[in-house]
Amino acid sequence: TARTLVPGLSVLAHLEKLETQVNRSRKKLEEPQGAQAVESSLGTKIRDKLRSEVKQRQARVAVRDTSVEPDQTLEISEQKAWERKRENVKAILQAYRFTGLSGKLTSRGVCVCIHTAFEGTLLDSYFVDLVIQKPLRIHHHSIPAFIPLEEISAKYLQTNIQHFLFSLCEYLNAYAGRKYQADQLQRDFAAFLAGPLQRNSLCNVLSFTYKVELRGQAFTFCARLLYKDLTVTLPTDVTVTHQGMDTLPTSWEEQRASHENLFCTKALHKVFASFTQREKLDMSLVH
Amino acid sequence: MDSELAEVRALEAEIAVLRPACEEPPAPGGDAASVRKSFPEIYQSDSEGWESSKDLRSNLGHLESELLFLSTLTGISIRNYSKKTETLTSPEMAEKSIKKVLQRHRLSGTCHMISFQLEFQILEVQNKENLSSVITDLNIIMEPTTTYSELSEFVSRAEERRDLFMFFRSLHFFVEWCEYRKRTFKHFKEKYPEAVRLPEGASASYMRVQSTSQPGFELVIVWRIQTDEEGKVVPKLDLLTKVPRQALELDKKGVVETAAVGFRALLSVLGIEAALESLLSVLCMEHGGQSPQ
Repeated sequence: TARTLVPGLSVLAHLEKLETQVNRSRKKLEEPQGAQAVESSLGTKIRDKLRSEVKQRQARVAVRDTSVEPDQTLEISEQKAWERKRENVKAILQAYRFTGLSGKLTSRGVCVCIHTAFEGTLLDSYFVDLVIQKPLRIHHHSIPAFIPLEEISAKYLQTNIQHFLFSLCEYLNAYAGRKYQADQLQRDFAAFLAGPLQRNSLCNVLSFTYKVELRGQAFTFCARLLYKDLTVTLPTDVTVTHQGMDTLPTSWEEQRASHENLFCTKALHKVFASFTQREKLDMSLVH
Repeated sequence: MDSELAEVRALEAEIAVLRPACEEPPAPGGDAASVRKSFPEIYQSDSEGWESSKDLRSNLGHLESELLFLSTLTGISIRNYSKKTETLTSPEMAEKSIKKVLQRHRLSGTCHMISFQLEFQILEVQNKENLSSVITDLNIIMEPTTTYSELSEFVSRAEERRDLFMFFRSLHFFVEWCEYRKRTFKHFKEKYPEAVRLPEGASASYMRVQSTSQPGFELVIVWRIQTDEEGKVVPKLDLLTKVPRQALELDKKGVVETAAVGFRALLSVLGIEAALESLLSVLCMEHGGQSPQ
């Protein structure tokens, strides 16, 4: 850019010289006629100099425009191709989140993101910041304290990092799934609950009392769900007991047993959704 | 005199016009390229046309190495990805300030010897309180399906539940088990070349063991890799026996009958490799029989 400015500067410098000459001459000459004559001749000189400079510039620009164009179009199309490739790679990097595992390189190593979901509903994400050194270590993370991170790291971090990550995936997704089911129960089926839903932070011990109405009769059941395996979203142990002093009639005993089975095989909120449906059906039959 | 004055005025006017034309920087486009070349660091950005191709290529190189790292870290290599977004609107939704966006994604890649192609839809619903994202449709195509017949099991379960993450988790563990099974079969084939037969190759789900001294006796070790309801991948091994009738008649203790059960017990105690090793070593080390390589 200095190159392009310099010729302009020299012209301007020359102009200034000429202008001062004109002013000096004007002051010197007292005869208006003479002064005007000097002025006009100097003015002509200035004007001609400026005209030639402008013409030169225009010519230079025209040449540059025509000479650059073919290179530029090749440059632009090559550029566009590289940009398209880059956008594609960026998109694929973003798409890793759909595998449940994504990551970004850091100055220390890599920050891995673990994504959770339960039956199609996307839930929270957690991260583990790894320092790539010998031995591999965790710089910091957002894994909740009740997930056995130390245990999993001790087993797999140094020997099989993939297993470490996918194992963490299992634990976190299972926890997210259990939590989701408990939250859904509290949110959408509170009408069934006779008391608060009792749960621990891992959401692997749930206890609640619920009432069921059928054919005009209502009974209260107490359910206790245990998820002994932390990588599952369906309980490993279920007990449903009858709340109350009176003995349960046979048909209701059957109900109680079927509920136990339902809680073992179906997601918690889905079990209650089926209760709602059954009640609706029941009501429609009665009326 | 008047004409000379006029001439001076005219000259002055023309100078006034020409002067700025000399001071002004040249029109853009012409010199832009040279400017860019002199100051590449200022114009290094994502804005089109301003980035030098050298920087673009180095940035791309960095991104590609990040991609390679991620695929090595996860064992999953995504080759292609595309997405289409559609905003769904209706006057009722706008009233309640609810915004719905439907995303259509297409993803394909490989995980070791298995290649996958996924098409799924995500519905994002934004209302005053929160944003929810739900997978509303999931379609999965896998290859090869003939070699790994157990694949279709967990694929249909994942599609049913629209559980994308479970699919990839199960895929990872499934592939890990397949590789381990293949390595184990190969290992025993190398160690007991006469006795061990792999009629369908090392990637198959079974291994034939023939006693070298008693050719009528044959064992088939079936090793299936199954996925349960939760998407957990579990190996399931079974022992099948082929014994000549005469031998069966002589078998007073019913050893053959209980072989399968005995094998399962052995598995739980020793683990897969050790259990197979003990079985094979017994079968192959008969009186004067062949000893392992």
